[in-house]
Amino acid sequence: MSEINLIIDGKECKGASGDTILQVAQKNDVYIPTLCYLKGLTPIGSCRMCVVEVEGNAKLLTSCTTPAQDGMVVNTKTQKLFNYRKQILELLFAGRNHFCMFCSQSGDCELQTLAIEHGMDSVRYPYLYHDFENDATSEDLQMDHNRCILCGRCIRVCAEKVGAHTLDLEKRGWSANIITDLGSKLGDSETCVHCGACAQVCPTGTITIRDFVYRGRRNDCDDVVESICPLCSLGCEIKGYVRTGSLTRVEGSNLEGPDGGQLCHKGRWWLPESTERERLSVPMIREGSTFREASWEEALGLAASKMKDACQKGKAGAIVSGLSTDEELSVFHSVFKDTLDLKYFDCFIGDILRGFKKGFEPFVEQGVKPFTAAHNITSSDLVLILDADPQDEVPVTASYIRVNTIINGGKLANISSATNPFKGITDVDIKVSPEKMFNVITALVKAVSENEPIEVSGVDKTALEELAGMLKEANRPVFIFGGNFASDAKAVTQATNLAIASGSIFEDGLGIVPMVRHANSLAAINTVVGEEPWIGKADIDCLYVSSTGLIPEDSQSLEAMSMARFCIIHTPYMVHPLVNMADVLIPSPAWYERSGHFCTIEGERRKLNTMVKPQLNLKGLGEIFSTLTEKMGVKLNRSEVQPCENIFNSTVPADKACQVAVEEV
Amino acid sequence: MSKPKIATTWLEACAGCHMSFLDIDEKIVDLLAQVELTSTPITDIKEIPEVEVGVISGALGNEEEAHIARKMREKCKILIAWGDCAVFGGINCLRNFMEKDAVLQEAYTNTVSTVNPEGIIPGEELPKLLHHAIPIDHQVKVDVYVPGCPPDPETILYVFQEILQGRIPKVPVDMMRYD
Repeated sequence: MSEINLIIDGKECKGASGDTILQVAQKNDVYIPTLCYLKGLTPIGSCRMCVVEVEGNAKLLTSCTTPAQDGMVVNTKTQKLFNYRKQILELLFAGRNHFCMFCSQSGDCELQTLAIEHGMDSVRYPYLYHDFENDATSEDLQMDHNRCILCGRCIRVCAEKVGAHTLDLEKRGWSANIITDLGSKLGDSETCVHCGACAQVCPTGTITIRDFVYRGRRNDCDDVVESICPLCSLGCEIKGYVRTGSLTRVEGSNLEGPDGGQLCHKGRWWLPESTERERLSVPMIREGSTFREASWEEALGLAASKMKDACQKGKAGAIVSGLSTDEELSVFHSVFKDTLDLKYFDCFIGDILRGFKKGFEPFVEQGVKPFTAAHNITSSDLVLILDADPQDEVPVTASYIRVNTIINGGKLANISSATNPFKGITDVDIKVSPEKMFNVITALVKAVSENEPIEVSGVDKTALEELAGMLKEANRPVFIFGGNFASDAKAVTQATNLAIASGSIFEDGLGIVPMVRHANSLAAINTVVGEEPWIGKADIDCLYVSSTGLIPEDSQSLEAMSMARFCIIHTPYMVHPLVNMADVLIPSPAWYERSGHFCTIEGERRKLNTMVKPQLNLKGLGEIFSTLTEKMGVKLNRSEVQPCENIFNSTVPADKACQVAVEEV
Repeated sequence: MSKPKIATTWLEACAGCHMSFLDIDEKIVDLLAQVELTSTPITDIKEIPEVEVGVISGALGNEEEAHIARKMREKCKILIAWGDCAVFGGINCLRNFMEKDAVLQEAYTNTVSTVNPEGIIPGEELPKLLHHAIPIDHQVKVDVYVPGCPPDPETILYVFQEILQGRIPKVPVDMMRYD
């Protein structure tokens, strides 16, 4: 891209060919007011706030949509432009209900900020007073059309980033309005995925998130902290607004990244809610059907003696959370593997992670990275979903899939035992019972790599043939492996063979996106996930459980806790049924009080930052485990190995990956 | 030379703007050394005399209010609109989405706190409602707009001080607010 030179407001500005005037101005710190423009979304030039004068051109041009040209002389701050912009603002104020005194977004509103910036001390036009609807049907969002300025940011983010395209525009002129689906209420929408992206980008008080209004404007917050969402393995980058020790709202911050700064229904609502939950503030010991407060000394002493006895009998176990940071997983590994050498050590949903671990093992041994950054979905020409429900497992990947299919024109195929999660937009949908899944994948491998005819009894033959043809033709197919799918390690290996056969090669590894739910699953696979399943099967005398309390525990792990004779539960919250299982409760810091790293399926290590300083008298993992091991009379071995360092490394490029033989079942 | 005279009035609005004026606290003593407060809700003098500066807070919702606004305009040299109601119409405009009759019906019979079993709507006792609640500049020319709900005391004082210096001020950007 060649460099271009412009003169903006008398200043020499450099840009790249292809930039708009606005982009060049922003690169060179020249401020141009904008309203409908939002970084990362397609500019539409509808609000006219960003108009500029270009010498030699009699018209005013919208800088967000006008390509910059070498030698252009641009003026952005003339009196004429100022007057036009002020006039536009007055017309917007006269158009609908923009009375700030009873709006929850006053102070956070971009329309208000611009009006004040332009010295708008009165409105010279008569008001319309046209009564629009206030759609309050959604549990999470409120959409008051009376406050809408039709900037279309919500429409664009919903279509271009979330791929849901729930919102669009109806009618014309001053009756024009934002519409949900084909005219349904927001609460009844079949396409809305409740991600709240529309509310995040809304510049006025039109779309608001019920949970966040009146909890503190952005401007009133004590602190804004950059961190990541710890709920799933995508690790979306977030900004947390903190006020008086409470998280008042979270927003996606990666506006120009592949996710466009969206969050999912979990991140948007669960994170702020988590600061309002009842905390476990002191260690507690079970007394009959309830608990009594105990000193750290007493609680850890009891835990140590039970753990010591159980270790001697070989009946001690530990289940830790996949939402733990790399650093925490290292501590767990050093305690439970290097020091106590427990036979029973695992992660919640360990069986699924074990499936991925064992299934990928032969390829990792080849030196190949068996997965690719999740956002590569959006540059794929064919996405094949294998028994996955991305909207539930790793929700933003579902956005990637929708965007790739609807906007980028990629193909979409689904093989699942349950309902197709992308009904209506899939090119091929094949229903396969779980026991036939492996056979179907094997048949596809043979069809793609050896051109063998494809036939599996009870499965739609035409669809299989069509899919095999699509896989052969595809240049950059991406495979989505669901959690269900991964419970069979052989299927994972065979499907990886299919990826190799179809030439699913990306710069960073094979074109596979594993739906590992828990934030740090990739690191957990390398550290705490054991070789054999034992949760719910082994006879345990003393079980240590570390849970972040952020997502509900799976039923299998809960069962294991209730079966264990003594259960030490280490958690930040008084969440049920988890705490019901405890004999000793040990408080831990909540996610917003911790910091550390996560290995995300976006293919990078991302940092979780402390958002709120711990307000309780809590102890860190290191301190707790040195006391615990000391009381058990063992020396704590700290392994030097960084458990997560190998995850993103590969010694062999993906195109050198070889298929491996899998025994047919 | 006698001190310049100020008159203020409070039309369709809460008392917020006048409260904000009183919130200039001890500075009111300095101000009163320079000006004379005549007819205001604070002095409770009803008849508006000839004044240098007239101030209106509140929107215009009925004919009486419109009459007072015109009267104020006649009697003053400089007219200030105080607060969002006077400047934009403010919260009173909520009723503009309904017909006039429906507004009376709502206010005198339907509201939860009203006991009016016979459903009597006051007639001649009430000034006639205007079709819409409107900002005052739809009826009279305004010289200085001071938006805010209410405007900050500092802004109210700033406007008086500027006028005393012989200038017709505009509220500067860093003092402007709409809430």
